[in-house]
Formats: sequence, structure tokens, C-alpha cells
Amino acid sequence: MVKTDNPKKVTLKDKIANRVYKRQHKVFEYNHSTGTVLNRKKTAIFIITMLAIPVINWLVFWLYINIQSIGLAFLDARTKQFTWDNFKYFWDQLTLAGGSGILFIALKNTLIYFGSTVLIVLPISLVISYFLYKKIAGYKIFRVIFYLPAIISGMALVAAYKELIGPGNLWDMFLHLFGKSVPQKGYLNDAHSATVVILIYTIFTSFTSNVLLFSGAMARVPTEVLESAKLEGCSPFRELIELIFPLIWPTFATQLVFTMTGIFTASGPLLLFNPPDGSTTISYWIFTSVYGPNGNGAAENAYNLVSAAGLCFTLAGLPIILGVRKLTDKIDPVEY
Amino acid sequence: MENRKKLPKALLNRYKLLRRTKSEKVVFTFAFIAFFIYASLIILPILYLFIMASFASADAYGDYLYLRTTNPNYTIFNIQLSNNFKNYLYIFNMEISPDGNTYHLGDMLFNSLWFCIISSTGGVLMSAFTGYVIAKYKFKGRNLIYSIVIFCMTIPIIGTTGSMLKLVSEGGLNIINTPWFVILTSLGGFGFNFMVLHAFFKNVSWSYVEAVLIDGGGHFTAFFKVVLPQATSSIITLIILALIGTYNDYTTPILYLRSYPTIASGIYELSNDLTKYFEPTGTFAVLLVSIVPIVTLFAIFSDKVMKNFSIGGLKG
Repeated sequence: MVKTDNPKKVTLKDKIANRVYKRQHKVFEYNHSTGTVLNRKKTAIFIITMLAIPVINWLVFWLYINIQSIGLAFLDARTKQFTWDNFKYFWDQLTLAGGSGILFIALKNTLIYFGSTVLIVLPISLVISYFLYKKIAGYKIFRVIFYLPAIISGMALVAAYKELIGPGNLWDMFLHLFGKSVPQKGYLNDAHSATVVILIYTIFTSFTSNVLLFSGAMARVPTEVLESAKLEGCSPFRELIELIFPLIWPTFATQLVFTMTGIFTASGPLLLFNPPDGSTTISYWIFTSVYGPNGNGAAENAYNLVSAAGLCFTLAGLPIILGVRKLTDKIDPVEY
Repeated sequence: MENRKKLPKALLNRYKLLRRTKSEKVVFTFAFIAFFIYASLIILPILYLFIMASFASADAYGDYLYLRTTNPNYTIFNIQLSNNFKNYLYIFNMEISPDGNTYHLGDMLFNSLWFCIISSTGGVLMSAFTGYVIAKYKFKGRNLIYSIVIFCMTIPIIGTTGSMLKLVSEGGLNIINTPWFVILTSLGGFGFNFMVLHAFFKNVSWSYVEAVLIDGGGHFTAFFKVVLPQATSSIITLIILALIGTYNDYTTPILYLRSYPTIASGIYELSNDLTKYFEPTGTFAVLLVSIVPIVTLFAIFSDKVMKNFSIGGLKG
């Protein structure tokens, strides 16, 4: 039966009137207190029309895609028969001696990117947001500038960054002050140094929306609470940790859960840096597998391998994400 | 008289309350210095692109690359820059061939335009539809839909790109490399946009709809003429955010729309196309010019975006 969310309480009179109407007209609902007559059929048509396209879209581009992906994971690309080979490949690449398997390297690097988000980006975003909220000198212009990395094309920023950290450039000149220099072949030709410089770039450009969300949440904190704390001689550090943080906990917890969803997809813009294989992440491995070398097409079994690896990582991530969600739910938000 | 005496004292107390203590001033000064350095480091790459785009020629850039690695005394300050803007004209000559055909600036601009408009507005509009219906109407399956949305948002399923490519390619829907790919995939009404608009519509009074229904209007009239206009501010903010994302998105066009290169994917192809004569200074100029439209758009709407941005729903 079609009903509406009516803010006014439905009285017994309404219910009786509804029943009478339904018996007489079969298609109407009547709200006695407001006099609204809802045509059940028309309401149903409205709901179906509004939801039809998005629901079909979800069924095709989410549900079907995922079911097909699970199917692909168990399929041999050549014989089209059931196989465990894709999972064997996944396991082999994860456990190859000396950690030289591509998936082990990808997993290790992904976790480095993920760890940096949780341990560096989120806490620093909180501190930046605090000073913006406390109206540090120039806060309006800082707020816009800090959001720029989210607006400016990554291609432009990466192109300039790659140049800046090259031999003979500004970073090199800065290092010369301490008697050091950039390696002649640059940072991006070595897997370890490439990961470090891409990680620094990623951290550097990741504060954007976190800062906006946290400062938005801080703006809703009642000023009276902070004023009385100040009268008590509360320092900025204590104010942030003991007062503001608990008050914006729901926002922080939501962001934390969303960050957790990226546990196996965290990465930097590796496609733009084009680093050596040793710097790959899971996302980048998936992309390069289906895109093929220089976009020249994927290997025959690439879709199947990617699906199998994706399925394993999804299943591994599921309990972690749900666990963190449960933990954050356990902490009661401060009502204000 | 009594009020007159009380007012300055109250103001004084308020001033004392808002005034920063000495220790606070120290903390804020250090924070300001850190903020200034971080802001400068964000601006620096843009300035640097400008320098790179100002090389006299591609040869001058080649010399610079060679000298900076061979001569330890050669630094960025030794380079000779062009005093004209001829490199910027390169954008009009830029051409790429991702699928064998040649595409020019006009093609990429046009592709960027429709790609951005369809991708951003389609998704936000569909989210408005689903957000409104699920927030305001009770029907069988409503809670199920809401639970599925939350589940899909919290549990990201990894590695479905292969499956997606299989679905949209020949033998599947066969929409790869056609505008239909953008149209059909952008019509999703669930996700972040849904959450924002659902929270917004939940707070809109049902009385508006009732008034329309009493006057003889239908549900569509109530939604499109009365409820939807109230969400304009949120919708514009979401569209701007989506526009920024799609304008800078180069992976979707290079994976699914090889014959419809956008500005972003075009520049990506350009900087990777080593078979053609590589014009690095021109590419830097193109990169610099390419950020102008989106920065302009953001500058116009920055106030709206900044004010409306808060978790649990963009404010209306």
C-alpha cells in the first residue's frame, strides 16, 4: 500500500475515513486532518517513474557487473571452463619467495598509501581545519588555496612536480644547501624512491575535502562551550583534542569509515608518474592489466585475473571495514 | 543609565574572551608560517608550469634538460625564456590520434563539454529523484533500497573494471566508444549525491506537497515546481563538484571513449605519444591553459561550494 510521510499524526478518524474511501473508490487515500486525497495509482506511478532509471542503472552497472566479475574470477579465459587457476595466480603472486610477486608488491605499496591517509592525512586535516575555524590570519584565502589541488588537473600538477624534483631543479638546489643532491637519473626511475616521492605528492594533495568537511563540522560547534573553556584557561591543543574533536566525532568517524573503504584501493596518481613495476599499487595493477601495455589491449586472461584478485581483496576488506564501522558506532556522539 | 554602564563592560569582557593570549599568539604565528609555506608549495607548481611554458623553443628545453644533468653549476635560474607567448598557440595546433583518427582542439573541447555536462548533471538529477522518493514516500522495498545504498557505499567491490569492459564491449551492450556509454552509466541515482539530497529532502516539509495536491496538482508538479527548486543550492554545489571531477578525469575516456578524447585525455595522450614530434614547451602551455576553465568555474562558485560543504548533507 502506498502511504506518505505525513508530519501530522494520523488519527482514528483518518483511518476510518481512509477505509471508507478505499471501499468506495478503491484507489484513494484520504487524510481527514489535512484534506489531502492521494490517488494510490498515481502515487505508485510517480514512485515507479522516479525510481525506474536509477534502479535499472544499479541492476546493470552494479549488480550485474559484480555478479559477472565473480563469474569471471572462476573462468578460464581460453576454454571458458570453471577453473581455480586465477586464484592460484593470485596466491602465487602474493606469496612468491622474497616478496617479489607483483601482487605482494602492489599490496605492500597500497597499504603504505592507506596508512599515510589514516595516520597523516586525517590528523593533519583536523589540525588545519582547527586553525581555519579559529580564523587564523588570511584564513579565507588559505581555505581556497588548500582546496586548489582538488580543482587543478592532476596532470598539470604532476607534470610540474616531476620537473621540480628533477636534477638541477629547485629541490636539487635546496638539497645542495645541505651538501646533497638529487640522483642523476632522478627519483622516478628507482622503485623505492619513486614510491616515496609519489607518496609525498599524494599526501600533499589529499587534505582538500577533508579540511572542508572538518571545518564545516567545526562551524556547527556551539561557541558558548569554547568560550567557557577559554575562561577556564584552556589551551588551543586541549580545546582541539578535548572539546572540538568529541563534538565533531560523527563527521570524523564517517570520514574514517570512508577512508577504510579504500584499504585495498588506496593509491597515488601512478598512471601520470609512470613509475617502475616495484612502485605499483593494487588499483594501478588492475588498471594496467585491463588497459594493456600503453593502452594496446589487455592480455587474454587479464579480466579473469583482475576479477579473482579483486574478489579476494574485497573479501579480506569486508571484516576490516565492518569492524571499524562497529567500533566507531560504539563511541556515542556528544549531543549538542 | 544602568544599561549604559553595563554595555562597555560587557563589550570589554567579550573582547577579552575573543582576544588571543600570548601563548595562543605563538601557536597561531607558527601555524601561519606553516600555512604560508604549504600555500606557497601549492602555488609553486603552477608558477613553474608557466616558466616551463615560456621556453624559447623545444630545443631550448632540450638544452636545459641536458645541461641540468651534466653541468652541476647549471640551475633553473640559467634558463633563457621567451618573451612572447607563441608556445600558447600550440594548443590550437595540438593533435592526437588515440584510435588512428586525428583529433584537434575543437574536437576535444566539444567532447569535454558534453562529457562533463551529461556525467555531472545526469547523476545529480537521478540522485534528486531517488533521494526525494525514498525520503518522502513510504512503499514496499523503501528500506531495502536504502540499506543497499549504504551497503554499496561502505563495501567497495574491487576489480570490476574487467567485468565492466566486458559488459560495455562488443558481445555485451556494445556501447563502448559511443556517447551512450556516458549517458547510460551516468544515470545512477545512488551514492554520495543520493545521501546528500536524501538528507536535504528529509527536512523539507510535506505541507508543500499537500498544498499542491489540494490545489489539484500531481506529484510531478509538486516535485518539479515546488520541492526541487528548494534544493537548487545543494544541486548546484553537487554539479560543480561533479564537473570538476569529470573535467579532470582522463581515465574514463582513455578506457571507454578512445574515439571521443576530451581535453584531459587528449593531454594525457599528447604527453605519452612519443611517435609524434614531441613539443614539451607547447605541452606545458597546454597544461596551463587547460586548468583555466575549471579554475574560473570554481572562482565563480567557490563561495557557494565552500559554504555548502559539510558532512551529513550539503546545506540548502
